[in-house]
Amino acid sequence: MIVRPARSFLWVAPAIAAMAGIAAGQAAAAEIGAAGAGAAGADPLRDERAVTRIVAGALGLPAMAQPPGGPPAAGLVALGRRLFFDRRLSPSGTMSCGMCHIPEQGFTSQELATPVGSHGRSLRRNAPTLLNVAWVTPLFHDGRAASLEGQALSPLLAPDEMANPSADALVARLAADPDMRQAFVESGSEIAIDAVVNALAAWQRTLVAGGSRFDQWRFAGDENALTDEERHGFALFTGAANCAACHTVAPDHALFTDLMFHDTGIGVRADLAAASGLQVPVEIAPGRTVLVDRALVESVAEPRASDLGRFEVTGDPADRHRYRTPSLRNVALTAPYMHDGSLATLGEVVRFYASGGVPHAGLDPRIRPLDLAESDVLALVAFLESLTSPDVAALVRDARSVPVGNAGP
Amino acid sequence: MHSPRFLLATSGSICLAVALALAPASARADETCQSPYLPKITGQEEFVYVWTLGVEGLGDGEDKLVTIDARPGSKTYGKVVHTASVGGRFEAHHGGFNDDRSQLWLGGLDTSEIFVFDVRTDPGRPRLVKTIRDFTRASGGVVGPHGIYALPGRLLISGLSNDRDHGGRTALVEYSNEGKHIATHWNPTSDKPFGAARGEVADGYGYDVRVLPRKNVMLSSSFTGWSNYMMDFGKMLQDPEAMKRFGQTVVLWNLHTRQPREVFQVPGAPLEIRWALGPTHDYAFTAAALTSKLWLVHVDRDEKWHATAVADIGDPEQIPLPVDISISADDRLLWVTTFMDGKARAFDISDPFHPRQTYEKEIGRQLNMVSQSWDGARVYFTSSLLANWDKKGDDNEQFLKAYAWNGKELDQAFAVDFNAEKLGRPHLMRFGSASLYR
Ligand code: HEC
Ligand code: HEC
Repeated sequence: MIVRPARSFLWVAPAIAAMAGIAAGQAAAAEIGAAGAGAAGADPLRDERAVTRIVAGALGLPAMAQPPGGPPAAGLVALGRRLFFDRRLSPSGTMSCGMCHIPEQGFTSQELATPVGSHGRSLRRNAPTLLNVAWVTPLFHDGRAASLEGQALSPLLAPDEMANPSADALVARLAADPDMRQAFVESGSEIAIDAVVNALAAWQRTLVAGGSRFDQWRFAGDENALTDEERHGFALFTGAANCAACHTVAPDHALFTDLMFHDTGIGVRADLAAASGLQVPVEIAPGRTVLVDRALVESVAEPRASDLGRFEVTGDPADRHRYRTPSLRNVALTAPYMHDGSLATLGEVVRFYASGGVPHAGLDPRIRPLDLAESDVLALVAFLESLTSPDVAALVRDARSVPVGNAGP
Repeated sequence: MHSPRFLLATSGSICLAVALALAPASARADETCQSPYLPKITGQEEFVYVWTLGVEGLGDGEDKLVTIDARPGSKTYGKVVHTASVGGRFEAHHGGFNDDRSQLWLGGLDTSEIFVFDVRTDPGRPRLVKTIRDFTRASGGVVGPHGIYALPGRLLISGLSNDRDHGGRTALVEYSNEGKHIATHWNPTSDKPFGAARGEVADGYGYDVRVLPRKNVMLSSSFTGWSNYMMDFGKMLQDPEAMKRFGQTVVLWNLHTRQPREVFQVPGAPLEIRWALGPTHDYAFTAAALTSKLWLVHVDRDEKWHATAVADIGDPEQIPLPVDISISADDRLLWVTTFMDGKARAFDISDPFHPRQTYEKEIGRQLNMVSQSWDGARVYFTSSLLANWDKKGDDNEQFLKAYAWNGKELDQAFAVDFNAEKLGRPHLMRFGSASLYR
């Protein structure tokens, strides 16, 4: 009987490959089944280059606020990358950070509106991209974490995410693993929870993805970098459609977020949908949708968890259903959209805004019906698609330069 | 939807008894749905092994192999005679025997453990002899060991997912009977079709794998990845992105070289594959779960293979969700179980291109696996699909039910209530008998 050795194949989500222009051959490191592929083909200057991204930033992004103590050591970045993709960080050995923030899927989960954690537990919210996360503060859709270092403990300990019973238990497990001890020694860190969160934060800060065609056009004076349609989209974005009121564009840079919390109607929309509608559309095969009785769906469903947004952090009724404005950089790579992943495409998002969101008492007054022609909708989408960084493919390669960590003998 | 409906036995359910009496003496298969390399139990099965998922707060809460006495006349007939817990909850699901049937290998879909039980030393008391905990690492990233299928000297394990994104792209993995990893064969995808015809539609998903040695072929089917099969079922049905991530293909492989030959489009998650057993019956059935359709994979005179949709199962608009099928030894009857309406349906498949439903019965509020004895006279059912897909509340009945089948009617012989007995969620069934080793 002939037995072939394990094969590997390209592992780039088609959407990303197309959007970020990843040519098949370029993504050599992005292979499945390539346990240990990392070490062999790794760029020897990989970690230094990563630190340089923190210091140098990228066209279109403001200077990064440096963490206390300055840019991290290369060894800490290397440790962070490794930990990020190590499934042993969860007691069940299934969840790493990278199982929800998937490099080939825009460092989010494109295959799910909201992810599932340890033992299949349901999460309420869509996983945000980690591209340019160094500029995001406060973190989470409801802004409950102030820094990346503070944020990391949350998924590590949440029972529905990585489900460690405590930080001490996690550290004890890592310390018992010879591979892990070695990784910490190489990085020059003690095995301690501070080192874990500092390392994770350090590597995430290196995920800098600017320099899009929009940036070339807007901040580097390249008149031809955008098409007429995309420029028209930008004019609407900052003009008639008033998107930039919240997705901010400054004269010398653009984060596309005011880092504030607003009610666009998405929060109440989910409640309204759950309360109305006797039937649920279910796509049972590509292009084949059937309407299923809600009672049937509910017979196999947990009760739906409510989500009150920023209110859950501040307790201020005015904050009910408010969520942080997300950046729109690389947004073409991070579908589905909104805090609950309820909109599948950028076209759906723009049409959602054009129709005035979901009118209700708390709706932000800047969300109102827009008088947009179909060509305007397409122009806005085209503009949003011009915000994709050419550096994403390299970041995916950087991410996949380490093997996924799994339990072993 | 739970109203018991007995839509019945029209003229079609002919002479099954006669047919069963004439069951071929072929040694290629055991209780109708097993690897052709296994010794089979052609007489009375003595034990039913049930791979059971632990439920938090119920009994010891652990996954366990439950042994039920199936010997008529025995003092413990129809009772649980042994349980062997495996130390935690791993999403117990499928498994299979090795080629001499001395071991039963059982997989955990969540954390990718494989538990190896000795069923030979004392068939009434299976004993855990080995636990493989590094399946994902050894296989180079395969998650969710699902179908476990005997080949000479080794086991062929079809994965469901992978360690990079918990999606559906996965592989077939070979282990030696001794428990060593031998090879990993990634399923073809449109990016890497590995030379398979119609590779552009390949999705790389996995579920079942079954062989037809005389044609040197193997078929694999396709379900979904960890994120979906671990997810709350209701949440998933309402997540349009998740619903896009189901297998839509059946792959025909060259058995000897393990090269994928051809990819067939079979939309809506084709699950169990059942080769017909007759020596000239070169075809297999599979049921697409989401689209509720029976498919036939068959070869023509020019040795060209085809996949053809041949029947609907129930009303596809209501998503009855066919989850298991079992073919009779004479290739004339196919049992189909549907999870949502809890029904068992019998299809007359004497003409494999035109299966006709001849019988249906509601077995419970939810229903999953079906296994029949070699002579077809005894049919066993279990209730659980997946921990987070099972129905909630009162609908969450958990049982094994045994029936006698006389060709016309299912008559209940015994039932074990897995909730009342604090056992958990019963899934896969396999038969055991001391007669195999004498
Ligand atoms: C089970 C899936 C899952 C895992 C595992 C996971 N995350 Fe997340 N992550 C999410 C979701 C969902 C959110 C949004 C939660 C919210 O806003 O309440 C999030 C938010 C974040 C954010 C905030 C981003 C922003 O824009 O506000 C960061 C940073 C982050 N995760 C990093 C990590 C790190 C580091 C790990 C590993 C220690 C990790 N995540 C593990 C799903 C996951
Ligand atoms: C009142 C402030 C505000 C205005 C005006 C606004 N947005 Fe938003 N935008 C938000 C907030 C807040 C969210 C996040 C909502 C949520 O998570 O439920 C968001 C989300 C988005 C997203 C989804 C991003 C993701 O990663 O999920 C896109 C795309 C978007 N907006 C584009 C636009 C466009 C185009 C316009 C103009 C037509 C616009 N926005 C106007 C505040 C605003």
